[in-house]
Parts: sequence; C-alpha cells; structure tokens
Amino acid sequence: MDRRGFIRTCGVIAVASFLDARFFSEALANQEGLLKTYNKALLTKEDGSPISEKDILPHKEYIFFYPYASTPCFLLNLGDEVKGAEIKLNDGQVYLWKGGVGTKKSIVAYSAICSHQWSYPTREYAFINYYPPDKASETTKRASVIQCCAHLSVFDPKMGGKVLEGPAEVPLASIVLQEEDGKFYAVGVLGKDQFDAFFENYKTDLRKEYGSSAKAKQLVDKCSVVEVERYVKELIRC
Amino acid sequence: MSKSLLGVSRRDVIKTVAGVSFFPTVAFSKSSQKRESAKVVIVGGGYGGITAAKYLKKENPNLSVILVEERPFFMSCPLSNHFLAGLMELTPLCFAYNVLEVKHGVKIIRDKVLGIELDKRAVRTSQGYIHYDFLILSPGIDYDIEDKPFYTETLVYYPPAFKPGSEHIYLKRLLSEFEGGDIVITVPPPPYRCPPAPYERAALIADMIKRNKLKAHLYFIDANERPLINSEGFMSAYYDLYKDVATYITSAEVKDVDVRKRIVKTSHGDFRFDIANIIPPMKANNLLASAGLLKKREKWVSVNPLTFETHVENVFVIGDACVSYLPKSGYAAHSEGKVVAKILSARLKGKEVKEELLQMVCYAMVSDKEAIMTETSFKYEREKGRFIPIHREDNERKESTAKRYIEWAKGLWRDMFG
Repeated sequence: MDRRGFIRTCGVIAVASFLDARFFSEALANQEGLLKTYNKALLTKEDGSPISEKDILPHKEYIFFYPYASTPCFLLNLGDEVKGAEIKLNDGQVYLWKGGVGTKKSIVAYSAICSHQWSYPTREYAFINYYPPDKASETTKRASVIQCCAHLSVFDPKMGGKVLEGPAEVPLASIVLQEEDGKFYAVGVLGKDQFDAFFENYKTDLRKEYGSSAKAKQLVDKCSVVEVERYVKELIRC
Repeated sequence: MSKSLLGVSRRDVIKTVAGVSFFPTVAFSKSSQKRESAKVVIVGGGYGGITAAKYLKKENPNLSVILVEERPFFMSCPLSNHFLAGLMELTPLCFAYNVLEVKHGVKIIRDKVLGIELDKRAVRTSQGYIHYDFLILSPGIDYDIEDKPFYTETLVYYPPAFKPGSEHIYLKRLLSEFEGGDIVITVPPPPYRCPPAPYERAALIADMIKRNKLKAHLYFIDANERPLINSEGFMSAYYDLYKDVATYITSAEVKDVDVRKRIVKTSHGDFRFDIANIIPPMKANNLLASAGLLKKREKWVSVNPLTFETHVENVFVIGDACVSYLPKSGYAAHSEGKVVAKILSARLKGKEVKEELLQMVCYAMVSDKEAIMTETSFKYEREKGRFIPIHREDNERKESTAKRYIEWAKGLWRDMFG
C-alpha cells in the first residue's frame, strides 16, 4: 500500500471503526500481530468527564494508562497535522501508522515505556519525556522528540515513534486513538509493545503500587489523562 | 588540590582527547551455511557473556547455549564505586546466574575454565571438556604484573577492586575502618577497564573525607596527564570541591610499592600512605594468551571490529579482553554481546546481518550526589579502517545526572536478568 492509499484507507477505517473496533484490526490485517486491540477506553479529565481537544494543550506532555492499569502512555498534541507513516522494523516487518487524530490531526499517543531498557515515568521520576519545540534537549540538541535520558534513545512522535538515535532498536509502540463526537478513545496498541518485559521487570514495584500483579494487569475501559509534571515528582530532562 | 600539580591548564583539559582507533580493513562477514543444530559455549559471565547468552536463547530457543562461569553470583562493577563510598549496599549489585537458566534456558556450568583448545573446538574445565560449534569468550581482564612483581603483594594488601567480588569487599573494609591519615590511589596507563572509574573513585573518596570530616588527605597518582574522559568535569570537581583534601599528581609512573612501610615510589617522588588502592596495569584474561589468541607481547585480542570474530572462524572475543573501537566497559561488553548474538543467530539461519556501529553512554559520580556523563557515537571510515569517536560530554555536575546514572545501570540489569 502506498502512502496515498494508506491515508485513504484510514479515512474509511475512521468511519467504519465507529461501529466496531475489530474492523480496524481486520482492515489492517497486514500488520501481522503488530496491531492489538484492547478495550475501547474513553480518555477523561481527572474529574472523570470526557477530555476534549481544547483540554489537550499543544506540546504539553500528558500521561494516561492503557491498555493495562499500570502501563503508561504519553498523550501529545503536536500542534500541526501529523501525517501517517510506514514504519519498518529492523527484522523487516512493516506496519502503517495512521498519524494524528482530532480536528487538526495533531494528537498522538505512545507507550511511555522505553523500547530499549524499559524506563518509564513513575510517581518519583520520569527519565523518558517529550521535548517540545522550544525546549530542545541539552544533550542531543533535538526538539519535538521523545527522549529517554538513561541511555539516550530518541524517538520521533511525528513518525510513529521511529528511533532517531541511540541504542533502542524498535520504535515506541503507538496507542491507536479514535475521535468520536469530540471524545477521544484508546482502542489498541500498534508496534512492538514492551508489556511482557515491563511486567516481568517491575513485578515488585507494580505489586507495591497496585496491590497485586493481577491488579496491575487489569485492562482498563477508561483512562484519566494527567499532565506528566503533575503526575511525576521529578522530571529528569537531559 | 595543588594547581601546579595539575599538569595541564583548564583550557587544555576542555579539549577531548582524540581517541581514533585504527583497524585493518576487514571483510564483515564470512559465508555461512545453515545449521540444523549447534552448540554455543560462552566463557565468562560478565556483562558481555550474560547478554550474549540471553539474546542467543531469545532468538533461538532450541539452540544449546552453555555459559561457563566460576563465580556463584554476578556482581556489577558499574556502580561499585557507589558501594565503596558507602552510597549503596552491595546487594543491589548482585544477581544470581540461575535466573538465566530458569527464565531463558541457558545452561550454566559453574566451573573454572582451565584451557581453551581451539584445535579440538573444546573448553577444558575441571570437570572435563565442553565441545562447541561456536565459542564466545568474554573472560574480562587480568592484572598485568609479570614485569612488576611488587604488584603481587599490593593485590592482596591493597586490592585494585577492578575485578568484581572480594577485592571490592576488602577495599570497602579498608575504607570503612579508615579514621584519618593519607590515602593513595594509583591509576595505570590505558587501556584498562572502565576509563572513568579511577577518576570517579578518587572524587568519591575525597568526598568521603570531606563528608566524614576526617583529618585525611588523598594523593591521587595518575599515569596519565589528565582524566581520560570527561576531563573538564573531573578537573572542575577536583579543583572546586576537593582542593583542600586531595592532591592530583599527573603523568606519574609507579616504580615500586612497599606494602609494609606503606610507601608508593613514583617518578614524581615517594608517597606514604595509611591505606591505598593500587590499580595495576591490565591485560586480557590469561586464558586468551594460553589459547593462542594473543601474539607475543600483545595484551589484548585482535578481532574483526564489527563482528568481534577472531582469526579463528566462529570464535569470538567480546568485552574488555578484545581490541575494539569501544572503550573497555560493562556497557560496551553488553552491546557487543547483543551484536554477537545477532551475528550467530543469522549465521545459524544461513543469513548475514547488517553491520552496525555501537554507541557508548558512560556516567561518573563527582560527589556523593552529583555526576557527569559522556555519550559517544562512532563514524567508521571503511577505506582507512578507522573509527572516529564523536563525544558529547556533559561536564556540568548535576544531581539529575546522578539519578540517570542509577537508571542507566538498572536498565542494563533489566536487560541482562529480566
């Protein structure tokens, strides 16, 4: 499928998927296991009411948990339209990322678990962060990127989470968003998710925070969206 | 710290020491035939060996992967200066090898390797021979002390703590019991394991003197004319924070150490000490010389810099023991372990892999709370067989960098044992 064809397909999917999220995965069947649908979860404000486009400020870093109660994701409004892209993995697999949603098609979401060695924003620290256009990284000098300060993996949120530099070998998994009547839903995860490694590596931490592994692994049907700087005590930027 | 002894001006120090590495131009990959089954033996359970073992099993669940390691537990050298300086317990640095067996199906043989017999394609241990189709050697370093016999005693009295385990525990005890007087640390000429480690250790011990308000002085005796990495960051810390409690003596050769009289004799004079950390020169683990992988007078094993394969087909050397464009460090060994696992996995399938250039990320504490760091990527000029490092140093000491340092290490451990 060429890019033009892909964008057209996404238009069709956006309409069709109002009815059934499964259609989305079937329509992009060539993703070969790289697209996983989970609960269709409404993104909300902290008060539980649906989040709307105006609540998602451009270049502000937001966090929500999807598809599991403990797996963090970034929600970003990149300001301008974000076009879809073809993502090629180093094992040769290819998948199609559909770009931004919202009226300006500027809203994207990614798993906030670094695909390199699984750093993620905790209540204490966030080593992985979004760097807005006016706040470039001091180390890599890059802006408009998601960067992990532990080993300096840098990802492009405008290009489906593609690795721009650093030791990460696969892109950040993207969260498939849908907009319906001004409401936003997370419906699936596209790309190489890191959930198995996440649950394996952080078993003790997750049990402490959520009470049990089972609770940490509960699938959500509603996601409260919070500004990262309010969720995390200390943002570690570099 | 005495300015006259710094040996270099601040301006000089800011320039990064060029570290261009040359290698003969080499073919990247050899023709390979698909194999139905194979046995991979890995010698050495450090950062390189563990990573290679885990990734080989992950990619090839049916492959027989055997890791031979003498020690019952893994102990990390990265972050061990935190332990020595009392900033961290030893426990978080230790991991059990059996995790690799339980989680990934790597067979662990806890035994000493007595010899490597390349002609027999076998590793000799106290229990007998282990035959291999592919051999990955990641045995680390030995201290290079043959022509300087005084080091034989210093190893016991004032251990280098550059091999993980009892050396660290004993040095930590010396430091814990130290109540005042003079401390000496010596740094060998490169290459040695982990270039920033002695400079970090000096900063942390000076910090410990200050923190504990000890009547003590550190004499930091360096064979090099300046810190080999992050010079600006280390020099600023030494000068700004520790000039009253430490003296940095550069370009000084250690001529002799008398462990009974407690004197280090150097080209820059004699230094008395109450306790010391004498770090001797280093070389590749002795096993490699006896296996015939080192030519006369060579200290480190030559490998194809992109594949880490030696001149013997299907025999690889990774980590500190090989000559690589990467500095000798746990991080580099870990990355090399992944590369070799990829190459072997492809070779088993009769395929070749795309060559890749690795990068380095390296942190160092300069006080009990602050750290500096360097990120290095490399450019490869194939025709000239030349690797050019591109350093991005952050020499401004920061608490946030110290926190990244911990996360950096935890990430590596997650990757190795998770």
